[in-house]
Amino acid sequence: MREIQLSLNQTQKIRLQKALQKLESLHSKVNSDASVTVADTIPISLEDSILKGHGTAERNGEVVATVCGVVERVNMLVYVRSLRSRFKPEIGDIIVGRVVEVAQKRWKLEINFNQDAVLMLSSMNLPDGIQRRRTAVDELNMRNVFEENDVICAEVRNFQNDGSLQLQARSQKYGKLEKGQLLTVPPYLVKRQKQHFHHLVQYGVDLILGCNGFIWVGEHCDARDTVAEEQLNNTEEQNTKSTRVSENVPLETRRSICRVANAVRVLSTLGFSLTLEVILEAFNLSSTLNLGIDEMLGSEFHVLVAEKEAERRSSLTKKKR
Amino acid sequence: MVGLSVGEKHFIQGGINQNLRSDGRKRDTYRPIFVETGVIPQANGSARIRMGATEVIASVKAELGRPSALQPDKGKVAIFVDCSPVAEPTFEGRGGEDLSTELSVALQRCLLGGKSGAGAGIDLSSLVVAEGKICWDLYIDGLVVSSDGNLLDALGAAIKAALSNTGIPRVHVTAAASGDEQPEVDISDEEFLQFDTSEVPVIVTLTKVGRHYIVDATSEEESQMSSAISVSINRKGHICGLTKRGGAGIDPSVISDMISVAQYISEQLINKLDSEISAAEADEDES
Repeated sequence: MREIQLSLNQTQKIRLQKALQKLESLHSKVNSDASVTVADTIPISLEDSILKGHGTAERNGEVVATVCGVVERVNMLVYVRSLRSRFKPEIGDIIVGRVVEVAQKRWKLEINFNQDAVLMLSSMNLPDGIQRRRTAVDELNMRNVFEENDVICAEVRNFQNDGSLQLQARSQKYGKLEKGQLLTVPPYLVKRQKQHFHHLVQYGVDLILGCNGFIWVGEHCDARDTVAEEQLNNTEEQNTKSTRVSENVPLETRRSICRVANAVRVLSTLGFSLTLEVILEAFNLSSTLNLGIDEMLGSEFHVLVAEKEAERRSSLTKKKR
Repeated sequence: MVGLSVGEKHFIQGGINQNLRSDGRKRDTYRPIFVETGVIPQANGSARIRMGATEVIASVKAELGRPSALQPDKGKVAIFVDCSPVAEPTFEGRGGEDLSTELSVALQRCLLGGKSGAGAGIDLSSLVVAEGKICWDLYIDGLVVSSDGNLLDALGAAIKAALSNTGIPRVHVTAAASGDEQPEVDISDEEFLQFDTSEVPVIVTLTKVGRHYIVDATSEEESQMSSAISVSINRKGHICGLTKRGGAGIDPSVISDMISVAQYISEQLINKLDSEISAAEADEDES
């Protein structure tokens, strides 16, 4: 198990060990015999014909695992799913990415994957909202929509033949993200869920959990109709854009944004999956303890979060029974 | 270093103006500092310091050598910094050389004083063995393992911790020599002299973003800086060295203000570092 990068004194180490062991024991009933390490034999019954999938190899007539992970079986397919891996995109995933290049009729985005993703100009709503063919003028105005280094939220549309992703941002909830901060966490901590856009109403904070490990925490913006309003006033275009961005985030909202961001950082250091519940738990824990926002990144708070999470999950499993 | 969008830049600058940075710190707060000493057993002293995501290692090696003719009663210290490609892909090959030279020169200026040796933070006269003939040469090496801003402060703190961890073997002069001959020496394997680091200064870097100064900037905040001043201050509050980086000019009155802010911050930093270093040494003794 990769060591957690924290400096803890003796008592804190012991407390953290206990909390992590408690969490492990809650889950050890599930399929512990399905986990394999490299060169373990995968048990198969010799009568079935099976397809050897990713993470397996044939050695001396046996099927052997080539990665550490969990054995999954789907009909005739047997493969090994590794627990910590690069981001594996699927169609419909919500992605947060950063524009690295403005190319002909498309934007190239960096998304923590082995290749840059592509967002076609035709997959993006035009500022005036009309559905029409993209002309050369639209192509020349691409930089007014998204520039280099902008942070964008989009959805995976399909895969291209070379394996890179094609994105689309047609809905109002996708588009440029401003007034906030972008955090990077390991992608396997963000599991696919029903909702990736979270609007924390009482704090006025938007939280977007990108499946690629980019997490956006920022001030709440209503659905991106502000882009349409801005482009309508063509003469005032420059003014409205700069004033919209340079309006200061109010201090209370900024405090909430920083607290949520620190909660995400703490959970990512501890290696816990990021869901809205867990993040809000860590947030509320820090508020009830009246911790200064920067004190959340100290080792004591990490240990407290681990203990709280162990308690929460054990109470959940008790309720289920 | 990834770029930042306009919105993110405004967020960072707005945070600094409102005294609430992206990770919740105030303008004058350092990130948590973690110290580990004795990480390189072959060196006479070593330390690893982590400030947030910035991680540096410093090591001290001592060798016997001749003192320079101009200062026969002082030992010699050389400081070199290496930026590892592990820290940033741009450091690969010769990419990190500029930054390494800049950091080495700044550290030499802050810790070693002027050419005549005056005002040095490290007491060079304690390194002499036989005046004019034999002295200790200290080679201090810094390695940047992970870079997230504020490298100079981290390296200064690491060097201070490594020096506290340094043990210089005791030397007995067995045969006195006359003229130019080298006396014979007997280097003891058992007895060590702990280096006295109460006079070693710490380095505080103040980064100017907009109208405010912040301490311990992350690399995102450093990308927004107009200029930065690094002041090395010792326990008495005296300034041992001063370096300015960045393209924008600063008014002299602003520099005086920044220096007084740095003096105020350095008191807390010195206390924090001392307690962390003694805790780290205690841990090392246990294990």
